[in-house]
Amino acid sequence: MNEVGNFLAEAFCRQLAGLVTPEAIRAVEDSASPGELWRTLDDSGFADALLPEAAGGAGLDLAQAFPLVLAAGEYCVPLPFAETMVARSMLAAHGADVPAGAAIVLAGPSAIIPCGRLAGYALVDRDGVPTLVAAGGSGSDLFRTGAATELDEGEVLATLPRDPDAVLLAAAAVSAALMAGAMARVLEMSLRYAGERQQFGRSLGKFQAIQQQLAVLAEQVLSTQVAARSAFTGSAFDPIRVAAAKCRANEAATQVCNIAHAIHGAIGVTAEFDLQLYTRRIKQWQLAFGSESYWGARLGQARIAAAAGTTADFLRRHLATGSE
Amino acid sequence: MSLTLENFPPAVIPPHAEALRDEVKAFIAEQLEGVPPHVRARSWAGFDADFSRAMAARGWIGLTIPREYGGAGLDPFARFVLVEELLAAGAPVAAHWIGDRQSAPLLLHYGTEAQRRDILPRLCNGELFFCIGMSEPNSGSDLASVRTRAERVEGGWRLNGQKIWTTYAHKSHYMIALVRTSGTSEDRQSGLSQFLVDLSLPGVTVRPIMIGTGDTDFNEVFFEDVLLPEDALVGAEGNGWKQVNAELAFERSGPERIYSSLVLLDLWARLLGDSPDPADAARLGRLVSRLAPLREMSVAMTALLAKGESPITEAALFKDMGTEIEQQIPAEIADAVATRPELATDPELLRTLAYLMQLNHVFSLRGGTREILRGMIARGLGLR
Ligand SMILES: Cc1cc2nc3c(=O)[nH]c(=O)nc-3n(C[C@H](O)[C@H](O)[C@H](O)COP(=O)(O)OP(=O)(O)OC[C@H]3O[C@@H](n4cnc5c(N)ncnc54)[C@H](O)[C@@H]3O)c2cc1C
Repeated sequence: MNEVGNFLAEAFCRQLAGLVTPEAIRAVEDSASPGELWRTLDDSGFADALLPEAAGGAGLDLAQAFPLVLAAGEYCVPLPFAETMVARSMLAAHGADVPAGAAIVLAGPSAIIPCGRLAGYALVDRDGVPTLVAAGGSGSDLFRTGAATELDEGEVLATLPRDPDAVLLAAAAVSAALMAGAMARVLEMSLRYAGERQQFGRSLGKFQAIQQQLAVLAEQVLSTQVAARSAFTGSAFDPIRVAAAKCRANEAATQVCNIAHAIHGAIGVTAEFDLQLYTRRIKQWQLAFGSESYWGARLGQARIAAAAGTTADFLRRHLATGSE
Repeated sequence: MSLTLENFPPAVIPPHAEALRDEVKAFIAEQLEGVPPHVRARSWAGFDADFSRAMAARGWIGLTIPREYGGAGLDPFARFVLVEELLAAGAPVAAHWIGDRQSAPLLLHYGTEAQRRDILPRLCNGELFFCIGMSEPNSGSDLASVRTRAERVEGGWRLNGQKIWTTYAHKSHYMIALVRTSGTSEDRQSGLSQFLVDLSLPGVTVRPIMIGTGDTDFNEVFFEDVLLPEDALVGAEGNGWKQVNAELAFERSGPERIYSSLVLLDLWARLLGDSPDPADAARLGRLVSRLAPLREMSVAMTALLAKGESPITEAALFKDMGTEIEQQIPAEIADAVATRPELATDPELLRTLAYLMQLNHVFSLRGGTREILRGMIARGLGLR
């Protein structure tokens, strides 16, 4: 069903493994600039995967593109790759011209815009109209990830038909999927570390208390991944699916980071160790584009509006694979 | 790592199975008319033999059992649709639940042709109810240590020992019992076998256990020199542990591990009205957001079962998370209704809530405890 997407994701992962090394991530963080990495990433063409084949893309739908976004999270791509991929497709769907090579962030309402300092453009919401602007991020880089707390907006390059939810939904959906990808890597790193680190003459993973924590970690990661996958359905993001995905990812984030860092002990937070590259980003996405209470309230309202059926009906009609 | 998103491939319930849904909804609406939520909240612990026989009359017990044995010959997806509707409505399914969910598939898979011909048609007719005889007073989580023993005797087996926590043994006709047929407790998984025990045989004593709420759903079951016929053995002698484990994928992967508090959730949601307090809406939405991926997982496991696979680790992960949300729902609603203690609470909501508040802690015990499930997940992750 998703063979094209999986095939492309495998090729993408191979590329990321060679390209987005921990050193490359740190180089972007230290210089607070995209450097050559963006050009190489963009040249690979994956950021156009959602565009129609006639427009030089791979013609993927959201479900097919999900593995790519997940991979961007898993490899901790420090630049707005997934955001750009989605923004380009939203713009292309309405025939808007996008500057070649543009890195675009999705600037829905949020205290912070992940990668805001690392992109030249932003898809912003102007009174309900998704608008592509030249933009530079500023303010504090709160998580040392190149996020911005302010956007200095310049020239308007394109406007899309009025849709007050569109930018926020895309931003939240992408964040949830990136979180899911990063969490999968955090789980993998925690399992590896638990197998290597010895205390009391045994590897940590032999202690039942640690095993139980890792089981909970796996549960949180897998349910977040399934929820994020459900948000990447159909041709445009659906508010109910996005609400469920971002709410789940946000709820899971605290426990995932707490358990992963608990298992790593002190070394996990050190600059030298890779775990913190991931958990800082998970926390940044947790704070961006609506919290679990925000999305929870929207999801709850949607459930109440569907008053006639049971919650099982609601899940089946609005949140199941194949129900779009 | 061997537990990833690929263990839960996206699955869609096929149209032939969905086609059943409206008919089931109509049946339930008719059967449960006027039954209040606090009764429906018993969910799959609610026992009503008449209801089960009405289900059987529709051909809805043993849905996945081949027609030649009295079943409907449908696939696990059809069963998913059926039980999802039953659970969401709080239908009293307990009488046929165990037989339908695990005894029938067990007999179909491991039973002799004679056992299948003898038992399955009556099970599907709603004539025979089943219970699970696994736990013993000294063998709970450590199930492999069971001591109840069956010894070969002339023409059959002699059974001695005791089972406990046997849900609805006092209303069941048969127990599928896991017992020792050779060796001792120290031999652990080897030497265990499963038996089909007719509970009306001489030497069987069933004693209900009352719980604090006044309910008596589960029992102690004693076996004193019970003579079982030769063909009471299910599957191969000594193969009991493997067979029990095969049952677990059925026992732990279904929607009953996420919907046990659904009647309460829906009653509360309905009472919130059209313009709820935003905090209540958020609480509701957060619960829904946790249920959504779990239902997806359950459908994914149904697809795996339909392919003949046995997603045991996946089911452990799903059940651990599912029962947590089932436990959380009454806790959240209790918090919500008492957020403003000066406001009156709907009496039916209060009754339904109180019922579930007294029972939700067992949701993570029945069918294997959290710690045991997490141990299985850890094994799936390669840690053990
Ligand atoms: C409502 C209900 C219905 C039931 N129905 C049936 C039925 O129909 N048939 C049947 O056979 N059984 C039934 N059971 C029994 C159920 O399967 C057992 O309760 C369960 O397996 C746990 O066993 P136990 O109660 O003896 O607890 P124990 O095994 O004594 O466990 C007590 C606590 O210790 C923990 N623990 C045990 N071992 C370990 C370990 N190695 N590491 C860490 N923690 C551990 C457990 O997780 C648990 O928290 C039912 C139980 C309930 C509550």
